[in-house]
Amino acid sequence: MLEEALEHLVKGIVEHPDDVRVRARRIRTGRVLEVRVHPEDLGKVIGRGGRTAKALRTVVNGLSQGRYVRIDLVDLDTA
Amino acid sequence: MTEAEETLKPAPDVEALEQEGEIAADYLEGLLDIADMDGDIDMDVEGDRAMVSIVGVKGTELVGPDGEVLEALQELTRLAVHRRTGERSRLMLDVGGFRERRRAELTKIGKAVAGDVKRSGQPKALEPMTPFERKVVHDAVAAAGLRSESEGEEPNRFVVVLPA
Repeated sequence: MLEEALEHLVKGIVEHPDDVRVRARRIRTGRVLEVRVHPEDLGKVIGRGGRTAKALRTVVNGLSQGRYVRIDLVDLDTA
Repeated sequence: MTEAEETLKPAPDVEALEQEGEIAADYLEGLLDIADMDGDIDMDVEGDRAMVSIVGVKGTELVGPDGEVLEALQELTRLAVHRRTGERSRLMLDVGGFRERRRAELTKIGKAVAGDVKRSGQPKALEPMTPFERKVVHDAVAAAGLRSESEGEEPNRFVVVLPA
């Protein structure tokens, strides 16, 4: 559910919603959600001073019922 | 306000604000569906802002400690509106009446602190607050006949109430 929620939140704010991909990975301390966006949208999902990235993290962690979720934002060209 | 100033001040474009509300409602409804949360979305226009409220949700996941999830969700919702309209949005989001209750509390605090400052003649600083919270306190202080200013940097910006 968190992947889907994050994907919805990101798709709504970018210019290239069809290029948004969210992948979940497990790490020792919890989960990582890796968000891939069109290179032109990376700045948009990070926001001025990281404001938008912080807002995305706050909402997803609000929905995660206390479990720690890390969010990584990368552009599609990153291998 | 003089007549000239009145004509200069643009009337709020209610239709545009209603459209903001619609876009915001779509974005938020999508989130509620995915998170499998019950809840309805109320839309309104208050002055020159679109007001969108999520009502009837159980739990406080969308409010968070001190409303931090609510603030973050408002920020994202404004961006979602901006993407569709190209205009910067000042839309206000509420969840389960949280802002209304906070507004009532802060109005009481603003009034009480204004009373203290009138008696002591000394400025008084309050705890750090969000822009919404500071605005409510400034309004309450002004209503009590005093002035106040905001000082410090976000997220630790706070209100200082000044003696007359």
